[in-house]
Amino acid sequence: MKHTRIGQLLLSVFLLSALLLTSACGQVKTKDQVEKQNEPAKVESSSPDTESTKQDAEADKAKADAEKTEKHDPVKIRLLAMSYFEKDLNVVRDMLAKAGFEPEVIIQPDYSSWASQVESGNYDLSLGGWSTVTGNPDYAVRSLFRSDGDYNIGINDPEVDKLIDQAASETPEQYQTTYKQLEDLLVTDQAYIVPFYSGYLITAVNKDIVKPESIYLEGEEAGSWNRVRYVNDEDNATRAYTISQQLSDLTSLDPIKANDGSINLLNSNLYVRLVNLTRDDKVVPSSSLSYNFAISEDRCKFYFLLRDDIHFARLDKGEAVDTGDLVGGEDVVFSLHRAMNKNSVPDHRTYTLYSQIKDVTQVTDLAVLDSKTADGRTVGEVFADKAPGKIDKLTDKNDQVDNQKGVYQVVCVETNEAFPQILNFLAHQSAGIVSKKQVEKMNTFKVEEYDREKDIAYGDSRTIAEGDHYDNQLMASGPYLLVMKDDYKVDFVKNPHFMPGTECEPMIDKVTVRFIADADSALSALRNDELYYGSVPPEKLDIVEKEAKFEVSKHPDNSCSYGAFNIKNSAFSDVNLRKAVLYAIDQDAFISVYNGLKRKCYSTVTPLVDTGNELVADAAKVSEYLDKYYAEKK
Amino acid sequence: MPQIQFTADSQREGNLQMGSLAKAKRLTKWQLGRNREYRMLKFCTTLTGFLLGVALLLLLLQPSDQVWSFRNLSFSNLAFTFVLSLATCWRVRGEVIRENDLSRLSRNLGLVFVILGLFGNFFLQLAGFYLLDRHHRLECQLAIYAFVANWMVFLISLLNLFKEYVSNQFFLGLSLNLAMAIILLVMVLLTSSNCMYQTERIHPLLFVAALVTLAMTLSGNLFALMASLVIISKYRRPESEIEPQWIEVISRLFRNNMCMIGLLYVTFLIIMSILSKFTFEPSLAEENNYLALFIKPCLEYPFGTDSFGRDIFTRVVLGAQISLVVGFWSTMIPALAGGLLGAMAGYFGGRFDNITMRILDILYAVPGMLLAITVVAAFGTSTFNLVMALSLSGIPGYARIVRGSVLTVANNEFVEAAKACGAKNLRIITKHIIPNALAPVIVTMTMGIGTAVLSTSALSYLGLGVEPHVPEWGNILKIGSAYLEQQPYLAVIPGVAIILILLAFNFFGDGLRDALDPKLK
Repeated sequence: MKHTRIGQLLLSVFLLSALLLTSACGQVKTKDQVEKQNEPAKVESSSPDTESTKQDAEADKAKADAEKTEKHDPVKIRLLAMSYFEKDLNVVRDMLAKAGFEPEVIIQPDYSSWASQVESGNYDLSLGGWSTVTGNPDYAVRSLFRSDGDYNIGINDPEVDKLIDQAASETPEQYQTTYKQLEDLLVTDQAYIVPFYSGYLITAVNKDIVKPESIYLEGEEAGSWNRVRYVNDEDNATRAYTISQQLSDLTSLDPIKANDGSINLLNSNLYVRLVNLTRDDKVVPSSSLSYNFAISEDRCKFYFLLRDDIHFARLDKGEAVDTGDLVGGEDVVFSLHRAMNKNSVPDHRTYTLYSQIKDVTQVTDLAVLDSKTADGRTVGEVFADKAPGKIDKLTDKNDQVDNQKGVYQVVCVETNEAFPQILNFLAHQSAGIVSKKQVEKMNTFKVEEYDREKDIAYGDSRTIAEGDHYDNQLMASGPYLLVMKDDYKVDFVKNPHFMPGTECEPMIDKVTVRFIADADSALSALRNDELYYGSVPPEKLDIVEKEAKFEVSKHPDNSCSYGAFNIKNSAFSDVNLRKAVLYAIDQDAFISVYNGLKRKCYSTVTPLVDTGNELVADAAKVSEYLDKYYAEKK
Repeated sequence: MPQIQFTADSQREGNLQMGSLAKAKRLTKWQLGRNREYRMLKFCTTLTGFLLGVALLLLLLQPSDQVWSFRNLSFSNLAFTFVLSLATCWRVRGEVIRENDLSRLSRNLGLVFVILGLFGNFFLQLAGFYLLDRHHRLECQLAIYAFVANWMVFLISLLNLFKEYVSNQFFLGLSLNLAMAIILLVMVLLTSSNCMYQTERIHPLLFVAALVTLAMTLSGNLFALMASLVIISKYRRPESEIEPQWIEVISRLFRNNMCMIGLLYVTFLIIMSILSKFTFEPSLAEENNYLALFIKPCLEYPFGTDSFGRDIFTRVVLGAQISLVVGFWSTMIPALAGGLLGAMAGYFGGRFDNITMRILDILYAVPGMLLAITVVAAFGTSTFNLVMALSLSGIPGYARIVRGSVLTVANNEFVEAAKACGAKNLRIITKHIIPNALAPVIVTMTMGIGTAVLSTSALSYLGLGVEPHVPEWGNILKIGSAYLEQQPYLAVIPGVAIILILLAFNFFGDGLRDALDPKLK
């Protein structure tokens, strides 16, 4: 009896609680109910408008269109990306799925397998990124979109080529409209690419060790180590300035033979250039080989007044020694000639940057100082702004230069047509000045007979790597000289005669660049005081900002992430389908996923030129273009 | 069922005979160990204490702002039940030592535990049921576990009520779940009372209830399956004194509490992954919601949301599906393939044995994970490829085990006798060899599922398992690991899910091995 009573009690308690819970269930809505509720709300909110009837009609039409498209099978779209872009891939996949496509994801672990997939055409939309290192818009479009560009993504459109060439010869005020036209054509009309976002360069300096203002130089060159100053001067001799980079396979230490992330930072400190770029991509002469530069009236000639206080340094028994050889006009002419000549070295990677240069010469005639510049002053007046004294004589011989006595060198770079953006290219690491003597001594082989196994070219990365091949013959014109590279790091020592006595003189004796492939590991090293300066992934910004020892800088960068369609052989050779994808992309989604640390962009030009274009996601347009696609398919 | 009944007198006599205090202590211990109510209560109290410790740690790490917050309430609830169970445990201990039986009050305290358990403390609910159940029938115990597993799923599905919206089949799933819970509770009551066991043959009503319960197997409730099979078998053979071997194995499983908890967790996951098709909204797990990024654990998002605004709770629950499916098939396929090869190799011997086993040795020499990575990298990421990749490397292991046990069985006298009687090879293999060689394979398979789940997660973590948006535990862990410092729960929760399923299968596998071991009978 007792037992059954317990059972009854248990059952009734159970049922009672179940009943209570069920009543709670009454408050909850199912997904369909919520969706139904949201739909009429939208119509209502738009009805008070004056154009309500029109809008309603449009909304109805869009709805009817949407219903129409539902009858078709969803369009399949294969998304290809490297695993590095997995986050973007997820966002794009989600947006396309919501827009009614059927996305399929193909992830490749590294660049080479990704590139081979692109080559085989086994994709519809491939996710990629571009960063304009030279900071000028021409470079941002020429390689990618011109039909003969080195990184062409499959676009072959004479109209695009024409606009790129036109913009190249224009001044910033003029090219703004041209680049807008180019963007309109590339993205709005043809949807060759789908822009996602541009970003920020987020970096942190350990201010317990390094003075942040010596790294974040306002209005002066960026990325050079010679301006870095420790908080304690005693550290200069004992503490190596340590930073990191991702790639450990160095392509080449000859500046013209490489243009990638493995050497950009290293070569720009190993070799001095005629001009430098600020963080805002302004061309400035600070820390460069020239006191100042002037542009001729027709914007075809560019004059540079050279300094006489930089000597080449070479390595002797592990120490950097001053060779006593001036980095002068002869070396500049030699370096730029080989940079523009495709056949000057085997595996020349950067000659396209200098294809606009007609000639590089030394100027000995003082009359040039009286010629007019674009802004109405004379070249001599422009030079006088920064020159240490009066210019009495110009020479083309390095050993005759003596600025104190008024003997200077002037180099003239002449372009085929007006092309002011050449200055940006001259600030690129590949325009670094090498020693004429040393390069001619090393590169004795004939270029066409070059055998990689037998011949050792100047800057061959094998000669600086630890091991049997080690034979460091580098000649540094920049502030630091590379000593040796092993699997984990590469060491530099300072050039003993680099602008001595000026604020640009390097103070820190040694620099170490460590190879850390993973961004998170690099950040850990930075936080453990193993690195003094480094970049911060957007996800980790809030942690780094909380640490008192860091001075964090957030600066808009020149990158643009975009999706490129497989125009040649896929369903997306159809422009309507491409546009449907374009309007399915909501750039705000990227911004929120990246913690607000991304910016909207319309093409690779956007970070450099304000074209005013903005991509707005529009579901009605998606269905409109999808309908067009289906109609044409029939 | 035979029961050893000690009276207080016999115990005292025994004490006197043994004479020494140490022996008395040992006897007490033995006595306590034999009492399953006390054992279960002690076990569940310990577990509750452990949970309380974890909760305390969490609460200290992140104190709640409001006094009446959900966190504080559940913590105090846990603390209350712990104190209550500790007190009951002490009381029961005294009663067992003194009288070797429980008083009516102690038994009725079980009801309190069961009712408290309805709100979440499943361990104490189990202990409460044990206290209430005085006849110790196997089917009753199975029904208890079946109910508890079912109720766990019900309560967890209920958490969806706090969401903005629920899936369209939510109420269908919930009603199904509740209906099953009611049926199982009725089963518990029927089997624990004497009214169904008055006659020689059990009451036909119970038989009908068992058939209904059997249908519940569709929800993945293994305990319901076992309970109904036990009842059906008892109904069909009322007089037989000897129980079938499988019933004996099941009752031996109950000796090991950890094993039962493991099986309970596995059953819970199976039911969860089947019923979550109704009660959980997949779009919350797969679609990005940029308005809900990085929300900390709260009632609407019990495990928080990730960097894409997806609900981790739904992702973890739906992730169980993939993990279990992949785990099941990538154990089943190699077990069948390897088992067949191994059985033939062991039975026929000679050249066939040699060639097969050497080929499998070659496969064995290739590291399993590496082989899986290669297969997935070559054929792309999909669930099917994943199963194939994991299965391939498992074949030689099973072949070896089966061959080994077939070799021992095949040389037994009864096989020779069967041969002498003129039985065909096929008949000998199916009737004599396979049933006798099965035990080690079953144990290996149980453990193997856990390993397969781990491998799936490992491959997903490397980005090779399933597509990145698919909710799979390794995938969730991978995304969470980037935020280990800011939002540690994003990685900890899927990590714990993986650890728990592995532990559950290991505990169950261990218990099963003991239960199947003829020497430990």
